[in-house]
Amino acid sequence: MLRKTFLPAIFLLLAYGFTVSADFKTITAGVAIFLFGMLSLEEGFKTFSAGALEKILKASTNNVAKSMTFGVIATSIMQSSSLVSVITISFLSAGLLELASGIGIIFGANLGTTTGAWLVAGFGLKVNLSAYAMPMLVFGIILVFQRAKSLKGAGYVLAGLGFLFLGIHYMKEGFDSFGQNIDLAQYTMSGYAGVIVFAGIGAAATVVMQSSHAMLILILAALATQQISYENALALAIGSNVGTTVTAIIGSLGASTDGKRLALAHLVFNVVTGILAIAGIYQLMVAVEWISARLGIAADNYTLQLAVFHSLFNLIGIVVMLPALQPLVRFVERLIVSEKVEIERPIYLSGASIEIRDAAVEAVKKESIRLYDLAAGVITDGLSIQRDALETEEKLKYVLKKSTDVIDEDIDDLYERKLKALYGAIVEYVIQSKGGYAKGRMKEELNSFRQAGQHVIEAVKGVKHLRKNLTKSLRSGDPVVRKEYDRLRKLILKILRDIDGVRTADVASRSLLPLDRLKLEIEEKTRQFSEGLDTLIRKEGIDVHTATSLMNDISYCKETCWDLVEAGSVLFSDSDPDDEDAIRSIALDEREIGEMVADEGARGTR
Amino acid sequence: MKIQKLLDKLKDILSADRQVQLERYKSLKKVLKSLRAEKKGLEKDLSATDDREEQQEISSRLKVISMQRRKGLKLLRELKEERRRTK
Repeated sequence: MLRKTFLPAIFLLLAYGFTVSADFKTITAGVAIFLFGMLSLEEGFKTFSAGALEKILKASTNNVAKSMTFGVIATSIMQSSSLVSVITISFLSAGLLELASGIGIIFGANLGTTTGAWLVAGFGLKVNLSAYAMPMLVFGIILVFQRAKSLKGAGYVLAGLGFLFLGIHYMKEGFDSFGQNIDLAQYTMSGYAGVIVFAGIGAAATVVMQSSHAMLILILAALATQQISYENALALAIGSNVGTTVTAIIGSLGASTDGKRLALAHLVFNVVTGILAIAGIYQLMVAVEWISARLGIAADNYTLQLAVFHSLFNLIGIVVMLPALQPLVRFVERLIVSEKVEIERPIYLSGASIEIRDAAVEAVKKESIRLYDLAAGVITDGLSIQRDALETEEKLKYVLKKSTDVIDEDIDDLYERKLKALYGAIVEYVIQSKGGYAKGRMKEELNSFRQAGQHVIEAVKGVKHLRKNLTKSLRSGDPVVRKEYDRLRKLILKILRDIDGVRTADVASRSLLPLDRLKLEIEEKTRQFSEGLDTLIRKEGIDVHTATSLMNDISYCKETCWDLVEAGSVLFSDSDPDDEDAIRSIALDEREIGEMVADEGARGTR
Repeated sequence: MKIQKLLDKLKDILSADRQVQLERYKSLKKVLKSLRAEKKGLEKDLSATDDREEQQEISSRLKVISMQRRKGLKLLRELKEERRRTK
């Protein structure tokens, strides 16, 4: 209920905000563009995973010292710790980095960002990357349209960066009216209270301005005009260091769990550093004075002293937090629990049963049957047929008549989470038992169940292929093409039902190889479908492209049906185990069935 | 002749390979027998029904059983031959 109402409520709230405030519209659009940039960046980095970038990243971040150095250098070059942290988050989300390495980079980025203060204070330089946003977007999107995977990936990265800058630009624009009203002089306070208040103002102002660099310039300007005291300026710098983490937090909204953990670690690090700096601000001031004297910085050159202070307290933060890196990793992991992806777990394969021969075989059989049942559900979803159609006795043509809407299930996701995971567990179990004690008959039985599982998986894969054009045919409404796809659906559904029929039939009335007749039916029907294609092109006027797709899909349909029958023959066989080999030896294979049908055809035309 | 048969049986008992061969032979024979019974039952059903759909269904099952039997009989002959060679 809450889930259903949440999205409309957010939409309504946003829509109301848009009508009330133009600034709100600009800010939220900025956040949206920024997040889109993150997605694009992640997409781009995914292209490079398992490639050169991953190797470079792994080599340059495989220990804390290296990842910190990486963070320092990257931030010094880019002149934006926020950018480095959001890129690190997207590295993590793309699975290119470990969390500990990511945190190391963030530590380094905090130190690297202090070079900005040195540049501004020493040379009056300000690197403004946002000016490159537009060209980045243009070049990026052109590259996205390229066929080569690496160029496409580079395009996504470039466009992602462009969107990030554009997003930040809009956020700044939106906050501008707030920013202009910040008058630091009116808050001048002394003592610890002043330090705390100014740290808070620094954090809030950085959030508003979305740039610790801009904040730094503001502090320097206020300090130069003596609007604020030196002590308050230092407190603002501390606050600014905390406020800058907001960009990373926004960036982590759409990121993976590890991305969110990194953003939290970033916040924890900066808050702890901030608290330490506030607590020891007077001692730090003495230290800054001492260092400045050693570096030849004039006692009244507050701007350079601020740069020294900035570097010093971040360095202290690193020295304090570095030994606590692993506890910090554990802390964020405990706090942000990874979203549990519902993966199908085995029920019957328990550790104990692997030691007992009959129990192991029975467990694998039951689990494989479970896999088959789950697959049958996924297959019906894939064919856009309601699952209960398998259980009822309603005529297939009526079932298909009713099944005109596409069932919007993510078949790939179901396949990955439910079937592949379960099949993986079965294979692992079989390998374990084979590696241990399984021999002779047991080994054969386990192998045959494993193969049955493979057939089940292949059947679902066939439907996955078939689904693309089937969905198109259901949506297009072309009655001729749809009729053809209905035939394919009908055949697969019939096979599923017939296998179920065999499964539930009482043993006495069962024939020896009850599913072999289905093989004949599959072969006959799919031949009919293929032969009918010529007529469809000539008489019904379907285009060659559709006919080619149909031809491929008939082949997928045939493979799916065969796989189901092969799996069913093993899983639902109730014959005497001693006769199992003999029965399997006379089961008809695809070639024999094909010859049978061809002979029939030849006799028919004579 | 009787002595030869007795010797063959003794070989079957003493040799593990021949034991396996014998088992396979016996079970294939049993399976073929069941198939023949199934075939006869289906032929009876076919003559008893007037329903066209059912007739078609039974006919196709009969076709498959015939093919399975043909395959089985060929295998049986091969097994027999193999046993003769290993005597």
